[in-house]
Formats: sequence, C-alpha cells, structure tokens
Amino acid sequence: MTVAYRVENLVKRYPRQDVLAVDGMSFEIAEGEIFGLLGDNGAGKTTLVRQLVGLLRPTSGRIELFGRDVVENTSFVSTMIGYMPQSTSALNRLTVGEAVYFSAHLRGMSRADARRERDELLELWRIAEIRDKVSTNLSGGQRRLLQLAVATAGRAPVLILDEPTNDLDPINKKHVWEVLRGFNQRRGTTIVLVTHDAVEAEKAIQRVGIVQRGRFTALGTPAQLKAEIAQKLKVRLVFPPDEPPALPFGVVPQEESDGSWLLMLDGDEAAELLGKLDLRKITDIRMTSTTLEDLYLHYAS
Amino acid sequence: MPPSLQRPRPHIQFTDLFLIQLSNFRWSWRGQVVTGMLAPVLATAALGAFAGRDQQSLTYVLCGSIVLSLMFQNQNNVAANFAYMKAMGTLDFFATLPVYRSLVILATVLAFFVLSIPSLVATALLGTVILGVPLSISPLVLLVVPLCVLPMAGIGALIGITVRSPAEAGSISMLITLLLLFMGPVVLPPDRLPDWMIGVSHFSPTSYAASAIRQVVIGPVTGQVWLDMAVLALVSAVTLWGVGHKLPWHQK
Repeated sequence: MTVAYRVENLVKRYPRQDVLAVDGMSFEIAEGEIFGLLGDNGAGKTTLVRQLVGLLRPTSGRIELFGRDVVENTSFVSTMIGYMPQSTSALNRLTVGEAVYFSAHLRGMSRADARRERDELLELWRIAEIRDKVSTNLSGGQRRLLQLAVATAGRAPVLILDEPTNDLDPINKKHVWEVLRGFNQRRGTTIVLVTHDAVEAEKAIQRVGIVQRGRFTALGTPAQLKAEIAQKLKVRLVFPPDEPPALPFGVVPQEESDGSWLLMLDGDEAAELLGKLDLRKITDIRMTSTTLEDLYLHYAS
Repeated sequence: MPPSLQRPRPHIQFTDLFLIQLSNFRWSWRGQVVTGMLAPVLATAALGAFAGRDQQSLTYVLCGSIVLSLMFQNQNNVAANFAYMKAMGTLDFFATLPVYRSLVILATVLAFFVLSIPSLVATALLGTVILGVPLSISPLVLLVVPLCVLPMAGIGALIGITVRSPAEAGSISMLITLLLLFMGPVVLPPDRLPDWMIGVSHFSPTSYAASAIRQVVIGPVTGQVWLDMAVLALVSAVTLWGVGHKLPWHQK
C-alpha cells in the first residue's frame, strides 16, 4: 500500500486561542482511498484540511504527501492536489466555463485539452446550461457544482473537498457521490473530504475519521466502527395522526422531531416486535442497520 | 506515486492570471466611469475655475487630475480587489494551484493598469479641453505612466491584504488617496502650499508622480524626471516586495 498522506502528531494553535484547533492528530491515508472527515462545526476539520493542502502551517507535527513534507514542498503539493474550499466564491468574477477552463489550464493541461476538459466537466457536473453565466449570478447549489468542477479540472491525483455537498438538493447530492466514486474507481484518485452528509457519504467513503475538539474520537472503516458499537437495529414507526402509538406492552419508543417513533432493538427483539405489531394501525415501518450517521452521533456524543 | 500535474510555464501562468484579473471589468467599469473619469474631470473643472488664467496652476490642476485618475483606478481598485480575493478565498485557491505568487501580484497590478487606461486618456483629453492647456507629450510617457501606477498599485495591494474586510480597504485606501493627493504639490502648485507641506511631500510618491507626469505631458522634460522615475521605481520595488512578503499564501 502506498501512503498518500502521513500525518504525525499534528498540532495547530491559532494566535490568542487557548484551545487547540488540531490536537495531536496522527493518521495515514492510502493512495486511492476515499477518506471522510465527520465532525461538529468548529471541531477542527477545516483547519486540518487547510493544513493538508499547505494553506496553513502546523504549530508542530508533520504532514507528508507521498513522502514529502507539505510545509517544505508547497510547490510539489500544488502539482498533486485539487482543492475545493468551503467558500463557493473563489472565482466568482468568471463565467462558469471560464472558471473551469482556467483551472484546467493552470493545472498544466494544454489549451486544447483544457477546453475538452471544460466541456466534459460541465456535462459531468450538470452545469453545461449555465456555462456563460457569471458565478455571482448562480444559486448556492450551482456554485457548489461549479466549485467541484473547478477542483476536479486538470485531473489532480488527490482531491481535497471541504463539504462538497453543502447547498445541494438530494438528487445532486447523490450525483456528487456517484461522480466522486467514479473518479476513485476509474482514475484511482485519492479523495479526502469533509462532510456533514453522513447518510449519503456512507456510499462513497472507505474510511472515516470522526473529529471532535481537534482530535479523532474514532478512526476506521465504517464497518470497523460499527462493530465497536452495539449491533442494534433502528425501527422507525409512523402512526396515523392524533393516535397514540399502538405498541405491545413494555415497548417504550422515543418520539422523533418529525413525529415518528424510534426504537433501537437487537435483531431478535426486532423480529419479535414485528410479529406483535397491528399493521392496520401503522402508517409506515422502516428498519435499518447502524448507519454512518448513527456512528457519528454515537462518537460525537 | 501517481504522476503529478505539470506546472505551466511562467508566461502561461501570467497570461491566464492576467485574463482572470481582467474579468474584473465586470464589476469595475462603473467605478471607472464615476471615480476614474467623472470625478477627476469634475475636479479639473472646479479647480480650474479657481485657478483662473494662471498657466502654472492650470498645469498642476490637469496633471493632478491625471494622478487622481490613476490613484482611483489603480490604488483603490487594487486595494478593493486584493481585499475581496482574500475575503472570498480566491488567494487561497490560487495558492493551491501550481502558480507563482509573484505572478498573481504582477498579473493583478497590470490588469488594473490596463483597465485604467481609458479613464486616464479620457481625463487627460477632457482636462485639456476644459482647461485649454496645450499638451506636449514626450515618448518618456510610456515609461513614466507605468512607473506612476506601480507604487500606487503596490500601496493598494498592501492595503488590500492587510485589512480585515473589503469595506475597510475602501475607506482606508480613500483616506490615503486624499492624503497623498493633497499633502504636496500634486493638484496645487508649491507656492500655494505651506512650507511644512512641501517638506512632507518629499516622502509622498504622488509628488514625484505628478512631477514626472507634468514633464512628460506638458513639458519641458528636465533632469528632474530621472530622479522622479528613480524614486517611483524604488517605491514600486519596496511596496511590491512588501506585497509578496505579506500576501497570505502559505500562512503561519
């Protein structure tokens, strides 16, 4: 296995701040891996990725990209990564087509290749229809797709994406994960991404780090992390409006904010419950295994 | 290790960055018309009325207006643009591309210079018509005008990258514009200024810019123009070095 990123004892302290933004993180990301960072707002995820791309120098510790120190080799880093910042305004004086073309050309493609890349990416990211619009006139979701096209233009071997699905509708979110998975499978692109979209991200992420207060509270594949918490099944029940939940004696559900009722059960308990339920009094039943979102909520709490 | 991207050659980087920065005409053209052309022309008309028929005063008014146009278009717009690029993450984005930071600075400064040329020409021509001052253009104008622009753009860029917001950049740059414009023989001839202000003006790049502009636009060109150009080149070098040093590229 070739290591793309090796991070050792990484610490970041901002001036005049008592709390460390990154507090002694050590981890590796393999070449060709899709690595996800989950965590609360202010947990230190963006500080971490800004250090990975060389925009922010660590207070102490070391980051290596393919064996080269990121701080000492910023030129090398810029020839390896495509970075999508959280902000969607980086090139907002340009039209959509111009922004993608210049990004590809400045990442070393010839003019003809950059034009071809632009046309392909505009189609791929579903923004071909707005290619002549200036970025400032786009919706939040369109700008996010443009940022993705800009980050992926030029075919950098490593993509660092800070919240790639923010502002997107469910259909486009799904599309983003499919495209990223496609880049990973076809080109072997290493992808490091920050996301709050744990449910959708699970379909793409191969390994995940859950960040809290500048540290990993969990790090591993979703399957490994799931194995560490109880193997519960989530049973979500919806009853007709204004009717109390009709459940067998002794079963105490938890009411969710959307009006549904949630039960966390072992497998045999779930089977037993389903056998006892009066299905005529239930509008909807959903049963799922532990998701990445559950992991996130579990480790974040 | 996967193959890395090819860093484009410097002239390709520069051309792309220059074209990206030229796209700023999409927001700056209104400002070019109002502050780069109308304000200097109105200032020319108003100050020209006070100057009466005094040819020396009229010369100072015309050349001061040209300097004012250059300051609005270069110092203020470059300050606004750098502050905006910093706030919007554009500088961060450029820092992650295989491009040289010095070329980002150079491309920005030169793009705004190019964008300022229509205002400069219009101010000079309309000012000449309004004031009736005959022009005697020296070929040295091709050297002097860029040398006047560079320190102003450098000061603007320094303002833009050190302030906290684009709004702050606008107000600070405007204050500095006014100070540089009126703290010396730029718009008004030296015999109308107190001695202390003449003393202070030796430290102001706009005094040298105005002096050089007067010589190459109205004439006569004297040995003073070389001193003016040397000072302007020195201030350009210092301010642009400062920009390169302070530009948030790979922050600590």
